[in-house]
Amino acid sequence: MDLKVEDIVKYLAENIPRGGVGPFEKAVAFIIRDFKIWWTYKLWITLDILSSLTFVATYYFVSMIITPQALIEAGYAADFLTFSVIGISVQHYVFTSVSSLSDAIREEQWNGTMETILSSTTSFRVFLLGESAFRFIIGSYFLLASLGMGVLLGIRLVLNPTSILAVFVLTILLVASHMVIGVLGAAMILKLKQGDPIVWAFSWLTQLFSGVLYPLGLLPDWLKWVGNAFPLTYSLDGLRRCLMNGEGLDSPMIIGNTLKLILFIVVVLPFSLWFFKKSYDSTRREGALGQY
Amino acid sequence: MSIINCLSKNSKGLFTLNTAVETVNLTKYFKGDGGKERIVAVDHVSLSIREGEFFGLLGPNGAGKTTLIKILCTLVIPDEGTARVAGFDVVKDAEKVREYIGWLHGETGGRALYWRLSARDNLRFYAYLQNIPKDVARKRIDALLEFFELDKDADRLVKDFSTGMKMRVMLARTLLSNAPILLMDEPTVGLDATGAIETRRLLQALCKELRKTIVFTTHNIFEAERLCDRIAVMNRGKIIAVDTPLRLSEITRKYRGVEVRFRGSSEEAVRILERLEFVKRIMSIQPEEDYTVIRAEVKDEEQALSEIPKAFSTNGLKTIGVQIALPSLEEVFLNLTGGEHESA
Amino acid sequence: MNQPEILQLFRVEEKRSKSSLRQLFAVVWAQLKMMLAYKSWLVMDLLSTLASVVMYYFVGLQVDPHQLSRSGWGTSYLAFSLVGVATSNYLWACLTRLSHSIQHEIRGGTLETIAVTPINMLMFFIGLTARGYLVSLIYLVGVFTVGVYGLGAKLSFTPQSLFVFIILFVLMLVSNQALGLVAAGIIMVYKRGDPLVFILAAVNEFLAGVLYPLELLKRFPALQVLSMLFPYTYALDGMRRVLILGASVFDVNVLTDILVLGVFSMLLVPLGLKMLGWGYDRIRREGTTSSY
Repeated sequence: MDLKVEDIVKYLAENIPRGGVGPFEKAVAFIIRDFKIWWTYKLWITLDILSSLTFVATYYFVSMIITPQALIEAGYAADFLTFSVIGISVQHYVFTSVSSLSDAIREEQWNGTMETILSSTTSFRVFLLGESAFRFIIGSYFLLASLGMGVLLGIRLVLNPTSILAVFVLTILLVASHMVIGVLGAAMILKLKQGDPIVWAFSWLTQLFSGVLYPLGLLPDWLKWVGNAFPLTYSLDGLRRCLMNGEGLDSPMIIGNTLKLILFIVVVLPFSLWFFKKSYDSTRREGALGQY
Repeated sequence: MSIINCLSKNSKGLFTLNTAVETVNLTKYFKGDGGKERIVAVDHVSLSIREGEFFGLLGPNGAGKTTLIKILCTLVIPDEGTARVAGFDVVKDAEKVREYIGWLHGETGGRALYWRLSARDNLRFYAYLQNIPKDVARKRIDALLEFFELDKDADRLVKDFSTGMKMRVMLARTLLSNAPILLMDEPTVGLDATGAIETRRLLQALCKELRKTIVFTTHNIFEAERLCDRIAVMNRGKIIAVDTPLRLSEITRKYRGVEVRFRGSSEEAVRILERLEFVKRIMSIQPEEDYTVIRAEVKDEEQALSEIPKAFSTNGLKTIGVQIALPSLEEVFLNLTGGEHESA
Repeated sequence: MNQPEILQLFRVEEKRSKSSLRQLFAVVWAQLKMMLAYKSWLVMDLLSTLASVVMYYFVGLQVDPHQLSRSGWGTSYLAFSLVGVATSNYLWACLTRLSHSIQHEIRGGTLETIAVTPINMLMFFIGLTARGYLVSLIYLVGVFTVGVYGLGAKLSFTPQSLFVFIILFVLMLVSNQALGLVAAGIIMVYKRGDPLVFILAAVNEFLAGVLYPLELLKRFPALQVLSMLFPYTYALDGMRRVLILGASVFDVNVLTDILVLGVFSMLLVPLGLKMLGWGYDRIRREGTTSSY
């Protein structure tokens, strides 16, 4: 070691003014860190892409024995393969992103890095934003891989300026509304220290009631209302209408979906931030932040 | 069954009646980082440890102590040479060897337990694996939990334990099977002072009264000095010396050492001492509250006692005292390993 | 308790049994005990599996019965998919569980502490699979119960058909577990192979036709040949013949399936045991019994 103790003391004695790093740069720092860690799991990434292939291929064959009657009645173009690939890849995208946020928090707790991060000058909002933004960015390769695979196997997507614009708006709302759900789940994890029931319940309830694999018209009347509680229902309906039928932001159905998504975000976001803050504080009071 | 009984049944060839562990030219290579380079972890180690002996393996981190222990408990297969434990070859008769050993890896810091099981369930599980009859197991588990002051937490999940508590569960697990040969890799790591003292006393009693053979590794010199009948000093995979703690200190008794206490710059003091031709080398520099102690090996103590204060005062250092110093085991160790302990 | 009392306990030497079964029991007991520590997770997972059964019921409403019966599997897609969904959990358990558990034990440092006890390591490895089997059994029973009694799928559960089903089922477990042993042996050594086993299971699930009749694969001869390389394909075919079509053990197709599965088992079991032994020896040689 060439450095002497005195040298280190000298380095640290220099007074460097703080405050140069804004919340946005911190969020970016999180994304870069996570990306570097993620990149070390190349095999897992390949796995995800390959598994998207097997699911698209599976529904390619399933669609051969399916009649499009129910799809036509629900107002979609008559193509079950396109319908199911959009449904599953979006559902998968949303929930791997959401649950991986909870996983990330668990992992931080497990590694003991959670306490290190929160003891630095980073607010929990920045922490959450950085953590969840990464999950959604990185989760999208599965979405794109599935859609790409679907195109190779013959799904038909209507892409024109109007539909693309609508898809763009809907995707932003989709991500934002599910980040809100992710924060709720993260709050539960801080408190309960194990598999958070919110994310899990959303996962299987939406599988059943958001119309991932079938139009909601097939559900019995007394079950149809359940799907209304989930933003995924509106997002999926909107995205399918754009991508399968070529509808744009001027279509009344799309406008309805967009408004419902915005309403969801406006109502639930403050609540979930409040809830996270509350469970974060109570965990700190118990001194159990780093526990698992 | 005592070891003597089993040996009379199984002893073959070179193995003598009283030997618990014997290695001949035991060697283990590992691949380096690049995969091409070969690192010698254990280098032609030949050892013979008697039944009932408290045997210490002393050495800096990376000396090969853990690898040697792992070979003895059949976890690592050696590349060259042979090792026999309780009379059985660790490669050919691995399953036999396992009946006679208890192993503890303290460095894992309590990782090597089932965190989702309670302390009692962890012990129960291992009692089953060791084929200990149920009633005996129950008695022993209760006793060990009480001895290690875990009885109140016995039914809590291990994941909620502190490091020290996990360590005590691991110790209890190792002792549970009443194995005649205990291979203890850093058994007192992570224990608080009282826990460490109690554990050392228990190990000593097991050795003295139940004739258990204990092979244990440490880099704590004082621990080794206090506990062991014999100590092997290991460095870079090689055994540099094997002897009693007393005799090991005597090795350096023929070297002469002095201890100088002074006030002033220690860098300056080192420079002065290095210039004196009767000073062989500087062993340690220990700053105290308002003075510094330097221990040095010299060729002639008398000369050192008179010359050093003179040399110091002409260079502006104030000598408080000079005396002849007996070598500690640490100095023996430094002598044998060529000073590498410092950097470890 | 003081020292002399402890020493007194150790002075008495007891007779030890040499029973491997007792050790096997211990491993299974510990596994189950740990599984119960995750009770809520288990319930959640079971519920979402059951939800997926309901989901396939609604997918089935879109299936054209003529298309399905043309491939020879009756007219109920629910019954068809039920057999696949119920047993595919076992496929995953057999292929992935052991290698995953071994890695877990290696990371936790417990593999080493067990390896120094006088247990036969094969017993230990077999015991490790118990958990996956038990969980899958709960799924299997749950899926069949919900499907048959809740949603009215018509499966023939007679003493006779159950008997043949069990024969096929056991052969499926043996042959796939043998594949799992091969995977475990390799992954033990190379540590980072988990994703490969997952992809193997996913591709296997796809090619065996869990969700669509394999007759549809005829258009892709390459895929059809590939699907014939997996034992699960034959097991699923046989089990469907028995449960959906009510075929007996004397049915030529069922007999063929049993025979092929038998051959698979005879070839794969010795190979699996050999690979597992090879892996365990290799990590002891490389000294990586606790690193990853």
